[in-house]
Amino acid sequence: MSATFLFPAISNHNAHQAAALPACSFSVLMKVENQALARGLQRRDPDLLDRLIEQYQFRLFRYLVYITGDRTRAEDFFQETWIRVLERGHQYDGKSRFEGWLFTIARNLVIDWQRQRKIQSLDALTAPDQAHPLQVKDERATSALDAVMNTEQDAQVQDAMSQIPAVYREVLLLRFQEELQIEEIAAVLGAPPSTVKSRLYRGLEVLRNTLEPRIS
Amino acid sequence: MNANIHERAQQLIAQDRVEGLSASDTDWLAGHLQQCADCANFAQSTSAALRALRSIPVPVPAGLAERTQFRVGLRAQQLRQRQPRHRALWIAAGVSWATGVASAPLVWRMFAWLGDHAGVPNLVWEAGFGLWWAVPALVAAVVLLSEHEKQSRESFWLRRTE
Repeated sequence: MSATFLFPAISNHNAHQAAALPACSFSVLMKVENQALARGLQRRDPDLLDRLIEQYQFRLFRYLVYITGDRTRAEDFFQETWIRVLERGHQYDGKSRFEGWLFTIARNLVIDWQRQRKIQSLDALTAPDQAHPLQVKDERATSALDAVMNTEQDAQVQDAMSQIPAVYREVLLLRFQEELQIEEIAAVLGAPPSTVKSRLYRGLEVLRNTLEPRIS
Repeated sequence: MNANIHERAQQLIAQDRVEGLSASDTDWLAGHLQQCADCANFAQSTSAALRALRSIPVPVPAGLAERTQFRVGLRAQQLRQRQPRHRALWIAAGVSWATGVASAPLVWRMFAWLGDHAGVPNLVWEAGFGLWWAVPALVAAVVLLSEHEKQSRESFWLRRTE
């Protein structure tokens, strides 16, 4: 999370000074901030939760769209995720990044839902060798990514993305958009780092092969 | 150049994005990319694919954050209201347990006397004593389970009404 979220005074300070902070100072700052966040979640501080919802709305929603492939479902899971954050806030210890914990909650909700509905095998989300993408279609029968693309180029990228299996979309998003470290992704997925790496390599290959003809 | 060199270059191009490279690998790759147009194209297409991935817009539905904040606020209110009830339940369970411990010898003798008087086997009145001990825990469990059930129903209702 942004280092300036809980300490807005820092953001009003000079941005150049913040950029010049030594790495260790920055990590200490992050640690302190995460611990403050953990205390706030334990207290179920309503203002803190409101700010977190506001701050993480784009990233969480995008992650949910990527793993469910469905905007409507993603909306439902978005709300349920924050309810879980409220109820289980005391479980966040502040030792790791908040977004990792948030994505883990969201992912577990999606997996639980799949398990209950038995719409499709859980393997579709957990086994990378499934050739077909995760497609949980609703009545409107439009894929999540269909709805968000407008331009021709975007539409082509969207088409390509919908062909990439959800397991790869997920790790690609976490690594290249969220910029999480391998170990952090492993924690979100509950999988060993070696699995994450192999999915990333394979995902990158699939992404390039799928997008190359469209963007060249 | 043999095929292994290109294979290694392409592997390093992916590794650079996924895990990062050592200084020596970076130098080797940079040198190779200057000489090999195919591998340079491969590197470019990898970068272009990642740029395209990063550029995908996923707009958040209007009002989603506000609706979520409202729901979370409502749930927080429910949890706050339940908290004192839970505290009372735990206090009652604690008092009951302490009383149970203090009165155990007396109750044991009472059960023994009753068992003897009624002429039932020892195992029966001993089981009765065990049950008597478990009553507070059972009551607490029933209350908590019914609370959980109610909570699930409310959660379902909230989802339906939105």
